[in-house]
Formats: sequence, structure tokens, C-alpha cells
Amino acid sequence: MSEALRRLAPVTLQADARRQAQVLRALSHVALFTLAFIILIPFFWMLSTSFKPARGIFVMPPQWIPNPFILDHYFTIWEKTQLARGLVNSTFIALSTTVGEIATSTLAGFAFARMRFPAKGPLFGLLLMTMMIPGIVTLIPTFILFGELDWIDTFNPVILPYLLGTPFALFLSRQFFSGLPRELEDAAKVDGASYFQIYRHVFMPQARPLVATLFVLGYLHRWNDFLAPLIYLRSPEIQTVSVMLARLVDFYVQDWSVLMAGAMIALLPILIIFVVLQRFIIESVAFSGLKG
Amino acid sequence: MIPLRPRLSQASNTRREAFWAWLFILPVTAGFFLFVLGPMLASLALSFTKWDLLSPAEWAGTRNWHSIFSVSVVHTPQARDEASGELLFQCGRHRNVPASELADWQQRNDERTGEPFDCRPGYPRDREVLPERFGVVSEIALFGQRWLLGARDHVLWIALFNTVYMLLAVPIGMALALAVAIVLNQQLRGRNLLRAVFYLPNVLPIAATSVIWLWIFNPEFGILNHLLGSVGLPAEGRWLSDQGTVKPSLMIMGIWSALGFQMLIYLAALQAVPSQLYEAAVIDGAGLWGRFRFVTWPSLSPTTFFLLVTGMIFGFQSFAQPYIMTRGGPGNASRTVVMEIWKNGFADLEMGYASAQAWLLGVVILLITVANFRLARRWVFYEHEQHV
Repeated sequence: MSEALRRLAPVTLQADARRQAQVLRALSHVALFTLAFIILIPFFWMLSTSFKPARGIFVMPPQWIPNPFILDHYFTIWEKTQLARGLVNSTFIALSTTVGEIATSTLAGFAFARMRFPAKGPLFGLLLMTMMIPGIVTLIPTFILFGELDWIDTFNPVILPYLLGTPFALFLSRQFFSGLPRELEDAAKVDGASYFQIYRHVFMPQARPLVATLFVLGYLHRWNDFLAPLIYLRSPEIQTVSVMLARLVDFYVQDWSVLMAGAMIALLPILIIFVVLQRFIIESVAFSGLKG
Repeated sequence: MIPLRPRLSQASNTRREAFWAWLFILPVTAGFFLFVLGPMLASLALSFTKWDLLSPAEWAGTRNWHSIFSVSVVHTPQARDEASGELLFQCGRHRNVPASELADWQQRNDERTGEPFDCRPGYPRDREVLPERFGVVSEIALFGQRWLLGARDHVLWIALFNTVYMLLAVPIGMALALAVAIVLNQQLRGRNLLRAVFYLPNVLPIAATSVIWLWIFNPEFGILNHLLGSVGLPAEGRWLSDQGTVKPSLMIMGIWSALGFQMLIYLAALQAVPSQLYEAAVIDGAGLWGRFRFVTWPSLSPTTFFLLVTGMIFGFQSFAQPYIMTRGGPGNASRTVVMEIWKNGFADLEMGYASAQAWLLGVVILLITVANFRLARRWVFYEHEQHV
């Protein structure tokens, strides 16, 4: 009898521990899903408002499911504002700056990681310092510079600086290229490849994860940019969707259904990209954060 | 022994390599000089000028800087009647109520509100106490004493105070993010979905989320007051329209928006903590708290440091959110330094003065960052010290 009990004891202990783990996991689930729900409330609220007739939004208590369910506000946004144009502009700016940034930053990152040249260390330190310098300090002189060039109200000020690379992309590229094995360029050098060929045909094909990360982060960052587009892009034809939406707040005061439809349109492209590339985006962010 | 030709070609190879390397880094370096270093120095020079872009720039000497730093703290004792020396009080709108009549006043009703008079110690008017053209930054009341903090450019100092105040959202959000990351860091069904949902607010354009939250915070018809009311909490919050609650309101949205990013970085770092450390801690008899205190927290300290420093640098430059949601109001209660720079530079065309303000902010950020790095030596623990 006592023998049987002794054999049984560890089993019950294990079962206890397992049950404890199960309870803990269940509690975690409840807590996390509740939090996720709370975090999503603003989006439900936006969606719900955007489909309500103007009078419906002042009904208390608020209805979550709009009745009647109307699409009018989306048509209003589409017809009376240039938000669609803003989407095109934002896409154009985000795409061109990101592609340019990747080209110049990876090239420089490659040089800093794999080539020897005088003043390499101090130069890299200097460039890295840029990351520490708050962008606001340079805002006014750059504005004056672009003004002198007669570039206010053109795309140039919000695109050109990025085409020369960003310290963040440079840093990430150098980190990435430093981690690749030595043999890569040795073989190419024996074959008499030029440095640019080594970069272009040996290293860049290996750098797919780097390029993808830089692309996603750069694209999201540019799409989110607000201050520079606000200052430089004056006419509606070239404004970004974010700046346009901010302007709509003044035009459609208290017309919350229209504003929510506008917000929905402004965030939809990014939402779609996020849903499709969710896993990859999250890994990119975590990756760059760990390196930083 | 070594033949001459290869040695020569090696020297020329080195030169060739340097040439190509410099060519490769040329765009990035040019960008640095053109758009960072050049403008930075230009900005410093501009801060000593007065320039509205329309007429030629004028040398202003240190006038801009002098205006910025014209700050004074004035101790303001309670006002006394000049003739009798009695302490004076203020009841409702009525100033100069002598102490002897106080009890009498408190019996009466305010003609404006119909309520009994609210009587407080009376003080001289701010402009009588402060230097000429100074405005009030803040009123400090401690131990029955009162000080008045005034400045020539009082709006700038209020903006700086607001900005620093709202930076509190960074550590608060990080604590929440760490808790979420720890709970999420186990084998859970739906883990990837949860991770994506938490991160979602961070990827969406800040302009769009600001407009959404503007509607959420609406005192009459916004969903926030309704939800609070439906769970029995007070639902009368004025949120963005009240000087007292506008900063916490912006912080709530800020935390909502940054939480996912911080959580993601913490989660990645948690997964890199070697499990042997936990096993060793368990053998040493560490409970849940002990494992957090002696394994998780020190292992994550570089991550905490990274999030803190970047969060603060980012937070100091907050613009889009207050610009869209409050325009700095009500009053100046949510004005940030960048909004002030933007207003002076691009609305009032005071390029010199705005440059000085921008430099002030830059130096403040730099000092805080340096202080962070200094303090980091005490609490940040690097497992591998051989960093670049």
C-alpha cells in the first residue's frame, strides 16, 4: 500500500504542475485576447462611424453596427477631396526614396564592411553620429537651402535627401555585410572581378533579407513622414495622403463619418501591406531592433 | 627575394581599392555634409541672426539666445494691504479682500455662480511681479509659499515642460510592453496573431490614427466616455479639451501606438535569453519574481536601454500627433517644442529665432542621451562586451 502511494506521489505532483501550467496559460490567453480587443477598439470605432449616416453618429448609446449601413462618405471622400491623388503621391515618394536609399546605403555599407581605405573608422563614426542628431536641428537651414533652389512645393525636398542614403540603412548594411564569409569575394577577386561587380553580383544576391528589411522599414517610415511633407508640399496635387488627411480635419469639422472614411482610406494601403507581409514585417522590425 | 612587379601592383591595388571605396561611400558622405553637418552648422550661425526670408538677414548677436534664456523665478508672498498691513485674499472675482472681512465674505454667495464664495490667498498680479514683457511659465506652490516662474519666451518653456512631461509615456509604455512580452513569450495558440494585432497601431500612419483618436476622445459622442460609463467609471472626461487632461490623453494614444513596437523588441530579446540561465536560477530556488529580477531583467537591460534612448529622442521631437489633434491647445497645454519651432519658423518666418530654438532642443536631446549613456554603466549589463 505504502509502496503504491510512493510510486503515485510524483505522478500527482506532475499532474499538479501540468494543471498549474494549463491554468496559467488559460489566464494568459484571456488577458492577451482582452488586450488585443481593447487595442482594436479604435479601428472598430472608425469603421463603424465611417458607414453611419451623419446623424447616426450623435445617437447615444452609440451603435456598433451601423443601421442603415451606407457608403456615401467614401464617395464624398473620393469625389470631393484629392485623397486618391494623395495615395498616389505617398506611394511614389515612399517607393522612390526607399529604392534610392537602399542602393546608396548598401553600396556604402559594402565599402565599410569589406574594403580597406584610409579614414574608414573616423568616417563611419561621423556618419553614425548622424543617427544621434535630432533631425529638427537641420530643419530650418535645409528649408532655406531648398527655398534658394526654388524647390518648395516640388517633390525634390522630400525625395532627394533620402536618395543619398540614411545612416540607419548604412549601419544595418554594414552589419549585414560584415557577417558574410571571407571566401565570397576571394573567389571573385581571383577571377578579376571589379569591386562594383563583387558588390553587385556576389554580395547583393546574398543580401535579400537585408534588402527586404530595408525596403519594408523605409517604406513604412516614409509613408508615415509628416513634418517634411507638411512644410514642403503645398499644392494638393503633390501632397501626401497624411498631410491631406490632416487638412481635412479643418474642412470637415465635426463631420466625423467623412473623417473616419478618410482615415480608413489613408491607412488602408498600409493595412493591406501589413496583413499580407505581417510575419515578415514583424521579423524585420525585431531584427533591426536587436542590431540597433 | 620578392619580385618587384607584384609589390608595385600591390601598392596600386591598395590605391585602387581606396579609390573605389571612396566612390562607393561618396553619395552617403555627400548626403551627410549636404543635409546634416552643413545645415547643422548653418543652423547655429542662423541662431545669431534675424531673418524673415523676405528682407536680407541681419546679424542679431546673442539677442535670440538672450530672449530664450530670459527666465526668472520670483518669490511672491501673499499680498498685504499697504495701509493696514493686513493679509489680502481673493474671493471669486474680487481681489483685495482683507483678512478681517474674510469670514464675512465666506458667508455670502458669489453673484456669478450662486455658490458660496471660494476664497483663496490673494497675490499681486503676475505682470506686477515679473519683469517687463515676461509671461508666466508656471506657478509653484510649496509649503504655503508661492513662486512664479516667468520667461520672456514663456511659450517655449511651457512647450519644453509639456514635451518632457509627455516623455513619461515612454517608461510607462515600456513597462506595459515588457509585461505583455513576458506573457506572450510562451507556447500559446494564436501567438502570431496576437503579436500582429499588438503591433498594428505602430505601422499605421500617425495622421490617420490621430484623426481616429480625435473622435474617440470627443467628450459628448466619443466612444471612450461611453465605454468608461458602461463599466461604471466616471464618464465626464473632457480629454483633449481640458488643460489638465490633454497631456495624459495624448500619452494614452502614444502608448497605444508605441506599445506594439516595444513589445516586439522585448519579445525578440526574450527569445535570445539562454534557457540555461533560467534552469540555473530554478536550481538555486528562484521563484517567478526571482527569475525575473535576476535573469530576465539583467538580460534585457540592453534592450531596455535601447528602447528608452530611442523613445526619448523620438518623443522630444513629437509633432504630428499634437499638431493634428490639439494644435497645441487648450491654451498652450499640449504645445511641444517642435510645434513652437514650426510656428516660429514657418508661420511667423522668424528663421533666426526658430534656429536658436531648434538648437536648444538639439542640445537638450544630446544632454539627455549622454546622461542616459552615463547612467547605463550602472544598470545595463552586456553579456558580450566585444561590441564594435
